[in-house]
Amino acid sequence: MTELKISDVTLSFGGLKALSDVDMTIEPGLITSIIGPNGAGKTSMLNCISGFYHPTQGDIFYKDKKLTHASPHQISNMGIARAFQNLELFSGLTVLDNLLLARHQNLKYSFLHAVFFFGKASRVESENRSFVEDVIDFMELEPYRKSLVGNLSYGIQKKVEVARALTLAPDILLLDEPMAGMNIEEKEDIVRFVMDIQKERNITVVLVEHDLGVVMDISDRIYVLDFGEVIGSGTPEEVSQNPKVIEAYIGEE
Amino acid sequence: MSQNRWLATGNFYTTYREEQRTFSTHLDRTIFTLFLVLLFAWPMFFDLGNKYMFVVDNILIAIVAVMGLNLVTGFAGLISIGHAAFVGIGAYTVASVCRTMGTSHELVTHFWPLLIVLSGLMGAIFGGLVGLPAFRLKHLYLAIATLSFQMIFQWVINFMTFFNQGQTISIGRVYWITGKVGRGDHYEFWYYAILVIVILLGFGIRNLLKTKYGRALVAVRDNDRAADAMGMHPGLTKVYAFALAGFFAGVAGALHAYVFRGVGFESFTLHESVSYLAMAIVGGLGTLNGSFWGPVAIRMLDLQVEHLSEAAASYLPQGTNLATASKPLTFGLVIVLFLMFEPRGIANWWRITKSYTKLWPFRY
Repeated sequence: MTELKISDVTLSFGGLKALSDVDMTIEPGLITSIIGPNGAGKTSMLNCISGFYHPTQGDIFYKDKKLTHASPHQISNMGIARAFQNLELFSGLTVLDNLLLARHQNLKYSFLHAVFFFGKASRVESENRSFVEDVIDFMELEPYRKSLVGNLSYGIQKKVEVARALTLAPDILLLDEPMAGMNIEEKEDIVRFVMDIQKERNITVVLVEHDLGVVMDISDRIYVLDFGEVIGSGTPEEVSQNPKVIEAYIGEE
Repeated sequence: MSQNRWLATGNFYTTYREEQRTFSTHLDRTIFTLFLVLLFAWPMFFDLGNKYMFVVDNILIAIVAVMGLNLVTGFAGLISIGHAAFVGIGAYTVASVCRTMGTSHELVTHFWPLLIVLSGLMGAIFGGLVGLPAFRLKHLYLAIATLSFQMIFQWVINFMTFFNQGQTISIGRVYWITGKVGRGDHYEFWYYAILVIVILLGFGIRNLLKTKYGRALVAVRDNDRAADAMGMHPGLTKVYAFALAGFFAGVAGALHAYVFRGVGFESFTLHESVSYLAMAIVGGLGTLNGSFWGPVAIRMLDLQVEHLSEAAASYLPQGTNLATASKPLTFGLVIVLFLMFEPRGIANWWRITKSYTKLWPFRY
């Protein structure tokens, strides 16, 4: 079974410890949320998993494979996709091209096929297109298919970001604050998508989010980080009863 | 299945494969075919003379080089200030064959298409090598790395006796099915040869841009962090972009060597590199048709300025060389004006024209 295991991960920048001895297990098929106050190390954790940072100590395992020192493209090829917090889209391209790009590794044809564009390249590209259309359909992006990503509104761009990660056909999807800066309606939309992603596509979701209401409602497991340490974990009920978590969020009584 | 394939109006796609077509309507394809026919036919009715045919050949060679530069700088967003050096690599590949095997060796005179491809590959190898710093360097720092290659290239050519220390190395006349290509037919023959190469390479790029190999280039330009997360190696993609540009430059270099019937270092200086960059900018970075407009515009400008200065020189005191002074001036002026008023280049005018005529005969 797919399982992501993070054991004793420490990440330090000089004297600053962004993460210290973090232990997490991400169970397959569930929505696992990572929450915590600002600067708690949530995004650093995602960066470690997706290979943009490499832990100073400790290891990350995925299906018994060690990916502590793998680079982002290797990790995305293993089936771990990631949506960024600050939009990292290809702004000069259309929504369609952005999604087609995500299929890079799944397209098997040679350079020569591409140059002459006969047989195989043409066939693979049209199959690729229908795969992408499937995702566009799923994420309800049809009206924006041909518009440049840079010209779209923030809410739509966030959706494209999630769609692009989904196009990688991952087993695990890392979502970094997909709801930040959105209004209630857009938030509800994204929540519905996240749940659909988990249920219909059977993808394990790792969610980093500030909106506690959303997190408590949809998560199966929650890890709470504060100053780079795990201060609480478990089901939403367990976490909301945890005195340490209450202290971190509300302060001492 | 689509109802009307002649106009864009009412032209519907019913399969994804239909959407891959290079020409979306029959009208587009017909116009393009007629244009190609015109390109092939005009020298038969209209004798331009050697002097101007030489200029036309030069434009076509510049188009080949700029197509490559546009791939690396326009599509992949990596500024290359050493493009003339890559063109030089191609030219000196032909020259080295001449130096080692003799000016009129069969490889040079009979198997010239092979030698042109070989020069392209040589350019690609050097392009890849020079692109290696792209693993670590970005933006301006990478541009400086390419500049250093330009310097090293010039230095090597100037000091190696094998390359005649930058003095002209002559290249023999080539043979075609009809026999040796003589003095009278030389430029016309190469016009056709280069035209065919330009068309082949143009379609090659067009196809490439529709596939993952083209999209990868744009991905590293727009956001190489995200490109990494999408499963492509950003460093390798950049090296590949440089190799691709090197191939085009190498081919352009070999053609340059054949058309000029000699290779000397002054055709591959920093000034030429900047010229290519200017052509790419004026034509329109990141567009395929921009690679055609740019060289035509800049080379024509040079020619016109030369003519005007000659005409003006008769009114000026003798000894003033107006052409030498006004060439760099107009060249710089054009670049500045383009950067200020049309940074997307002539290709943008083409785009606007096309979108106006798209719905013809309807207004909206």
